[in-house]
Amino acid sequence: MKEELVKDWSLGYILDHWIRVVAIAVLVFTGIYIHTPFIAGGPDSTIMASMRFFHFVAAYTVVLGLVVRVYMAFKSTFDADWKDFSIIENLKNVPDVLAYYLFIKGSHKDYRKYNPLQAFAYLFTGIVIIFTAFTGAAIYHGRPFLIFPMESFRWVNNLLGGESYTRIWHILAMWYFIVFLLIHVYLAITVSMINKDRTLTSIFTGYKLKKH
Amino acid sequence: MGKKDEVSKQFLDALEFRGIKRRDFLKYCGATAALIGLSELYGPKIAAALEKAAKRQPVIWLNFASDSGCTESFIKATYPSPAEVILDILSVDYNETIQAAAGKQAEEILAASRKAGGYILIVEGGVPTKKGHGMIGNKEMLDVLKEMAGPAIAVIAIGSCATDGGVPAAKPNPSQIIGTGEALQRVGISKPLVNMDLCPVNPQYLVGVVVNFLLLGKIPDLDSQGRPKMFYGQTIHDNCERRAHFDAGRFVEKFGSQEEALGYCLYKMGCKGPMTYSACPKIQYNDRTSWCIKAGGPCIGCAERGWTDKFAGFYEPLPGVKIPGLGGVEAGADKLGAIAAVATAAGIAVHAVATAASGRTKGKDGGKK
Repeated sequence: MKEELVKDWSLGYILDHWIRVVAIAVLVFTGIYIHTPFIAGGPDSTIMASMRFFHFVAAYTVVLGLVVRVYMAFKSTFDADWKDFSIIENLKNVPDVLAYYLFIKGSHKDYRKYNPLQAFAYLFTGIVIIFTAFTGAAIYHGRPFLIFPMESFRWVNNLLGGESYTRIWHILAMWYFIVFLLIHVYLAITVSMINKDRTLTSIFTGYKLKKH
Repeated sequence: MGKKDEVSKQFLDALEFRGIKRRDFLKYCGATAALIGLSELYGPKIAAALEKAAKRQPVIWLNFASDSGCTESFIKATYPSPAEVILDILSVDYNETIQAAAGKQAEEILAASRKAGGYILIVEGGVPTKKGHGMIGNKEMLDVLKEMAGPAIAVIAIGSCATDGGVPAAKPNPSQIIGTGEALQRVGISKPLVNMDLCPVNPQYLVGVVVNFLLLGKIPDLDSQGRPKMFYGQTIHDNCERRAHFDAGRFVEKFGSQEEALGYCLYKMGCKGPMTYSACPKIQYNDRTSWCIKAGGPCIGCAERGWTDKFAGFYEPLPGVKIPGLGGVEAGADKLGAIAAVATAAGIAVHAVATAASGRTKGKDGGKK
């Protein structure tokens, strides 16, 4: 059996991934502060204004990062992977992977880049990012991207039953990202240990070990 | 401004007689112009329009399920104010709380007004839809509204009871009270409707709408909830006098503390200012004496629909959420999220142990086949 290093992620994918990680970390930290300010400001402090500023900058980053990611899914010259997210195709293969994860089967089929559950998780994360952006814009009361008029997202509040509920959904979305992070990192470590193919380090180096 | 826009000496003398100085009246008209979004140059025009409103605009004021707090907020002025003069331009033909007539006489006034038509209908209070839970002169309140809304030229719902039910419609809403807009929809009447949420409504808001009507002959621009944009265009938070403390991170943590004495931001005490659209910080109450936050109370959001339930826990930042499947158990969003995260961590721990036990990490080929 031969082993060789194969490029799994281009620089674009790696940068897109890590920028998103940093931005979401900033969003969670500043978001918790904005919701429950845990540091009191002094006479010359601008702490809440700064927290809000970095929250908005990071929010724009995540939204634009998603735009870039969707663009790469269709147009990347390295690996346009939009077909891997096909819902119908992936639904067929869910039992296979689920059986493996639940120790019913000892192995699963070989999938191109993402297994079906993985593809669903990433697709859903994209949807949650959009949802969080909309609820965030609704409680922002400003002019998102300076192109949307004031209050152009107020319909989100009406849809969710009032602004207090928009805020609750926005907070629950944050917890989704935390739960996602836990599972994502756990599976990345476990898969690296099981397959011994450097999955975990591939998102830093771009290279994965392939066996023939 | 032409000659015809000027106020006659006679009118000003009449005001002097009531104890209102000419200068104060014109200043007030200028302020009212600013209030409804016009240049202060419109002040004299407003004064003239008020004088020339020769035929006093008839108004029917209906009281439904409420504590009449809005009526109170109008009549509790201790001296004749310019606002009162403007409201005197209206001919309030029927108002159960303050009228002298009662019984048959009152019924006759109402019938005569209905026949004449052309009045502005002011509704105060929610409309009970459960039979027998709210009746005036042996008639269901919903039927009274239906009768009186028909000949009206416009309907103004004042106070949060009238706009969506307010306090009497709070959970569990035993009388199934609804707001004026919904009630009109239910009886199939379509009329220009101005909603003025607040508990109680600010008299200045009604003045603004009335002047707008006298001057321009139409109701003002409304937002998505039917409220005049000029009063409900910005949040309380955006204009709050304590906003600087918010941006600086200076918060009241406890009532009776040093921070409270210093007038710090009430955000952590459950202030709903960031979610509530109203011009309270600018216009204030009781002739600009004070308002909730100036008096040290966190905003409870009474200008928003369903505030009695959606902002419940007035000293909590957010209401609790019903946990699905647990029948009535409520928890805050933070707790809910923390539970999900802990459950995930526990699931991962169990899975990690099972993975180690299965010996998968020891194999060479891994899970793929």
